Amino acid sequence: MVHVSKSQSTHRRRFARRTAAVAIVGAMLLAACGSDPDAPSTDDSSTGSGAVGGSDSALVIARGMDINSLDPSLAYCDTCQIFMTAVYETLLGLDSSDNQTLVPRLATSWEGNAEQTEFTFTLDPAAKFADGSKVTSADVKFSWERLQGLQGSSSYLAGSIETIDATDEGVVKVTLNAPNSAFLAQVNSPYLGIINSKVAIANGATMDPATDKAEAWFLANSAGSGAFALKSYSAGDELRLSRNDSYWGTPAAFPEVIMKETPTAVTQRQQLEQGAVDIAMQLSADVASGLDSGDVTVKQVPSFNFVYLALSENAVGGEALTPDVREAIRLALNYDNLIQVTAGGAGQSQPSPIPNGFAGTANLPKPQQDVAKAKELLAAAGVGDITLDATYPSFNVYGVDFSTAMQQVQTDLKEVGINLELNPVEIAVWADKIGSDGIPVTMLYFAPDHTDSSQYVQYFGMAEGTQWQGWSKTEPSTEQAALLTQAFATQDSTERAALYEQLAEAMIADNVIIPVVNPDLFLASRSDITGMAYSACCNLDLAKLGRA
Amino acid sequence: MPLLLLGIASLVFVVSRLTPADPLVSIVGERNLNNPEVVAAAKARWGLDDTVLVQYSTYMKNLVQGEMGTSFTTRKPVLDDLIDRLPATLELTFAALIGGTIIGIGLGIAAARKHNKLVDHISRFFALIGSSLPAFWSGLLLLYVLYARLGWFPGPGRLEPRSTPPERITGFYTIDSLLHGDLSTFWEAATHLVLPAAVLGWGVVGIVSRLVRASLLDEFSMEYVRVGRAMGLRERTVVNTHAMRNALLPTITIVAFTFAFLLTGAVLTETVFSWPGVGSYAVDASRNLDFPAIIGVTLLGGVAFLVTNLITDIAYAFADPRIRLS
Repeated sequence: MVHVSKSQSTHRRRFARRTAAVAIVGAMLLAACGSDPDAPSTDDSSTGSGAVGGSDSALVIARGMDINSLDPSLAYCDTCQIFMTAVYETLLGLDSSDNQTLVPRLATSWEGNAEQTEFTFTLDPAAKFADGSKVTSADVKFSWERLQGLQGSSSYLAGSIETIDATDEGVVKVTLNAPNSAFLAQVNSPYLGIINSKVAIANGATMDPATDKAEAWFLANSAGSGAFALKSYSAGDELRLSRNDSYWGTPAAFPEVIMKETPTAVTQRQQLEQGAVDIAMQLSADVASGLDSGDVTVKQVPSFNFVYLALSENAVGGEALTPDVREAIRLALNYDNLIQVTAGGAGQSQPSPIPNGFAGTANLPKPQQDVAKAKELLAAAGVGDITLDATYPSFNVYGVDFSTAMQQVQTDLKEVGINLELNPVEIAVWADKIGSDGIPVTMLYFAPDHTDSSQYVQYFGMAEGTQWQGWSKTEPSTEQAALLTQAFATQDSTERAALYEQLAEAMIADNVIIPVVNPDLFLASRSDITGMAYSACCNLDLAKLGRA
Repeated sequence: MPLLLLGIASLVFVVSRLTPADPLVSIVGERNLNNPEVVAAAKARWGLDDTVLVQYSTYMKNLVQGEMGTSFTTRKPVLDDLIDRLPATLELTFAALIGGTIIGIGLGIAAARKHNKLVDHISRFFALIGSSLPAFWSGLLLLYVLYARLGWFPGPGRLEPRSTPPERITGFYTIDSLLHGDLSTFWEAATHLVLPAAVLGWGVVGIVSRLVRASLLDEFSMEYVRVGRAMGLRERTVVNTHAMRNALLPTITIVAFTFAFLLTGAVLTETVFSWPGVGSYAVDASRNLDFPAIIGVTLLGGVAFLVTNLITDIAYAFADPRIRLS
């Protein structure tokens, strides 16, 4: 047995402790200095500050992602629009300079009959999927029939399709179940992107929600013809796209695009300033303020997104919201102030539920506050002080905080004797309430799926079966239904604009939907990023971005 | 334990179904809630067209077989989601807990030894701040000052946005990068842990230091401490070898339960630091009324508390031989 004295033992412990400390410090220093220059894992400093990688480095976008699925027939969200545009090409593209003109993409030419019930598309013979196989009419037929069949959130865009003839592999003939002059705009929507049918079917895709098993496969793989392909997706963390190196068109500039989950606008800004990311496009006016500098460029562009107030007379507790009272509410709102408070002045007022810039909106007068007239209307209607439930989802979208907006609405309406009881709730609670009792006063937002005005009439109009006709429990309007049918059957753009103007005026007169603010978008990017543009159909076209 | 977990699952199932909220909105979006075909297809796809009783029995049958259902929001099996995200939370929790406990014990000992002196007051102030500052505020502040302004520390996330995570072995980026011999990624992952772990661990420092201080002061009044001192033992020996051993028992309990709490409660820290862990998953799940994910996270919390309880009992035995013998 070895005897160790107390002092020897203490010395040994001290020595062991010091050795361990030195070892830890050494390991840390080694780790700090031991960066492998060839390691693919990182290409900038560990603190994230300073330079972004070279011209062939990945493009990084900081986003609060709202992805519900990456299955092209089920995906439906803002980020999905970006993803779909990059990975699954549509037959028609959109000219980003005017956000209106349709341009060739997978189809080189197209035509519709005078009745707007039949459309023929000629496919580009050079178009091919990422696996090298040719894009054929059979793929178009499969993609659109699957979109229709799975009844996902965007299936309404293919709802008017009756049959698709794919006899000729280079020609797609579509017959609709009713005239639909919006069909070409719908074909341009990223949700009508074309899937490689053979690959999808081999991985469980069908047209029936009961038998379709492909959604899980689509979360890790893609089968499109776009400039990018899905590399990996980790929900709540990041979405990675890799460049489709065998792309049949002009290849994308970036070898990889990384969308990084960054829920808060402040963090998006910080990462952009530090050079850790290249693009942030969910900044509110106050967060974007002062950001434009040598390293960062900020473009303020008008968007087609808007936030609106909805008034439902037939909701439980909404009986006081007669047409006169609704008109009074529209007149009582201080729109300039609302834009100032909700969007820091970076926004527009919007006369009707069809946003500025869409067909039928050119001649509409801007909404104006008229408190005296509002009071007059209320007095004539014999309405004294009224109190209304204002339950709304506690959202912050496109830089607009709903609570701030509703507080301003509350202040404006108090001036004419209408009291709002504000009740912010989670969206699921809001959905349950509006689907059962209805909500007298609420707030929501809308972003377009395509470039045709019909989507707004189908959602906000009072024709039977629209979303807001149902939610507001309003008597269906046969006039609006007839006008919409007429617009769908009209090919001439001037005539269509006139019809949509009538519909917009009818929706203004309904006073069920009152647009509050049309906030501008702040497209913030590192100054060397080129091609930043907001697209009405597709949000952001990644294939058009580059690094100077 | 399995019965307890089934009980937890049943309770959460019933409570979530009683909530006046519509989960369909997270599946079809608010724009399609009035679209009968889309709603019917979604209900059929997710089993929401069955009666609650049928939904309950199906869920329980699957749960017993180890299936926790598919998340409405991520569209992946909940078990896979939890396996994906748990290492991120564990890595952060361990870093916060180890750092917080070491500093907390050190501060507690210093405060007890210098009772009512400057060190004690400073330690108390530090603990008070740590316990009372909300994580979202201290997190944003630290990010603003140390990342955005000074650039001393890395920003949110587990790695730089441009970096590729190490190939998964354990899911802990620090460990996996070391196992792959990738020291630069190890360093990056370790430095990315510092700020979120500091925010999370500061609260632990507050709790542990106050507890250690109070326990040690109790022990100092015991006879064996006075005897030790009277026998001329060095103060360090009296404190570290004798008093601390007894003061450690309540500390073990509180550290263990803090671990379980942090595991499921690091919600704000994960949100502020864009940390893809269980906390942010739980937030998304509850916002979207994602029933399967909510039950999954709750079960994980239940397992965490049960396992922690077990580990606490074992640790007790190591810390106090009397417990082992009895």
